[in-house]
Amino acid sequence: MSVRTALPGSQGRQLSVWDVLYKVMFYTVLASFLLMILVPILFTISASFRTLSEIFAAELYLIPKEPTIEPWVEGFEDLRPFLVNSLMIATGTVTISLLVAVPGAYVFARTTFPGRKPLFYLIILSLLFPHVLLVIPISDLWYDLGLYNTLPGVWLGHQTFVIPFSIWIMRDFFQKMPTNLEEAAQMYGCTKWSAFVRVVLPVAKPAIIAVLFLGFLNGWNDFLFANMITDNRGPRPAVVALYNVINGGSGETTDWQLLMSESLIIGLPPVVVYLFARRYISEAFAVNAS
Amino acid sequence: MSLLATYQTYKNRLTDRYDVLGTVFVEYRFEYLLALPSVLLISLLLWVPFFRGIWMSLFSWPLLGEPEWVGLGNFQFLFSWDPFWTSVKVTIIYGLNTVIHLVLGITAALIAYRLSGFAKKAASGTFLIAYAMPPVVTGTLWLYLLDPTFGPIQQLFVDLGVFSSPVYWSTDGTAALAVVTLVGGWTFWPFVFLIVLASREGISDTQYEMAKMYGASRLQQTLKITLPQLKSAILVAASLRIIWNLAKVSQPFQMTQGGPGYESSVLGLLLYRDAFFAGQMGRAYSVGIVLLLISLAAVLMFLREFERQSGEVEF
Repeated sequence: MSVRTALPGSQGRQLSVWDVLYKVMFYTVLASFLLMILVPILFTISASFRTLSEIFAAELYLIPKEPTIEPWVEGFEDLRPFLVNSLMIATGTVTISLLVAVPGAYVFARTTFPGRKPLFYLIILSLLFPHVLLVIPISDLWYDLGLYNTLPGVWLGHQTFVIPFSIWIMRDFFQKMPTNLEEAAQMYGCTKWSAFVRVVLPVAKPAIIAVLFLGFLNGWNDFLFANMITDNRGPRPAVVALYNVINGGSGETTDWQLLMSESLIIGLPPVVVYLFARRYISEAFAVNAS
Repeated sequence: MSLLATYQTYKNRLTDRYDVLGTVFVEYRFEYLLALPSVLLISLLLWVPFFRGIWMSLFSWPLLGEPEWVGLGNFQFLFSWDPFWTSVKVTIIYGLNTVIHLVLGITAALIAYRLSGFAKKAASGTFLIAYAMPPVVTGTLWLYLLDPTFGPIQQLFVDLGVFSSPVYWSTDGTAALAVVTLVGGWTFWPFVFLIVLASREGISDTQYEMAKMYGASRLQQTLKITLPQLKSAILVAASLRIIWNLAKVSQPFQMTQGGPGYESSVLGLLLYRDAFFAGQMGRAYSVGIVLLLISLAAVLMFLREFERQSGEVEF
């Protein structure tokens, strides 16, 4: 039996008018989606290879007439320290969140203990929390605790979102694993702990990889916390630097070709990571009524 | 009964209580040890600051200087402050973004599901581009694309006759809100796409085979099998998107800083402006509490679906 036909509507029988109409509509919608995404992106890529005079060209064209890599070279130079900060912020964020969220998700998914439900709700409610509300109390508190302008301060700030998000995704995955996995492991002489480390974790690898990437991306992409708990003397990430170019209030004319290259330098790494991890990430998001 | 005896009974009761707690902890040592780091971190980093913020909202709390008790004064001020009501209106309009996200996300997921092999990989990869980038970056890209003097998308729209002349949207309240909302719509729909596609892959084909045998049309199959089966996924995606859309800050902040005036200040942005430009921490937090109350309906919707899905597991 055919599981899924490669082309929509081709069932090996004669095509009716409806099938043709369906096909036309299908590819029109698909093409509109691709255009909606690619046209804007391609124009920004084009701008990042232009000279300032070509940015202001009167007519519309995609391929720059005098392409230059100057904006990219300059962009990298300007952003280098901030990119390093972004990398350290993202790495630290995801390391802490994995150490904390993976064991947490596991016991909330596959064990019972007194107080499990209220404790779990404490975490899942924090996923549904408007995190902008934390901006004020945390910046105030971080100042008092000496966490302001430090890497650990930024790492901890991000945990308020990354931990509940990772637990939400991982718990689902752990629940779908075979019910007698731990029992079987314990029959072979595993303790609860070694069953978790040696049997459960290897099986959960795809989900762990998914939350690893998602946590990293969150650390790289986040503006809110990073902007509020760092200043120019601290570990400012690249997104905050980009914000300051536009809204820093220096009043100079903006070099749009440079701004576009810098945007793409910051924006492309997460796209590459996403594409690389797409398989894991898309599996992790399944919500199926059982 | 003498004081000493009373003391003795209480002491014994307490030790009994501790013994019970102790045995429970020893018996479930493994579970508690693994659960506690996340519970502790979230409590300390999120719930303690949150309650501290509620406390702050009862004060006039300047960024630097001594807080002063004002009771519900901050809320009283808000309700008679025009920018606050502008902001509530703007937040609701921006929140309608969720509709764009759902329509685009569900359509894209059903389309990607029908593709296979390289076409599927390429299409879903392309769909994710905008969502993967930092919102501050996509906001910056659109600042260029929509610039009235040299932005290529504006030029394109004028060439195509969509606009008769370039729109100077950054100085026009309605246009600024429309731009911020539509760019938000363009950026965040792939979250819905991810959830719906993954869930669509989980529906077994047997139901469709059956439906085909009985002669159900494509439309009937979509309406009677696909959408009901995806209901949970769609509700979860919708509620998370509503909550996150209502609290969006970074992208509108990058594009308009909430201006002109307060015409594109969503509540999260009003909070941010109040806290860091006006230095009014207490008042800013009362804005946050209003925001929380507005998103509560979506929170309840999420929890209901969540409970239903994990229903077979007894807590």
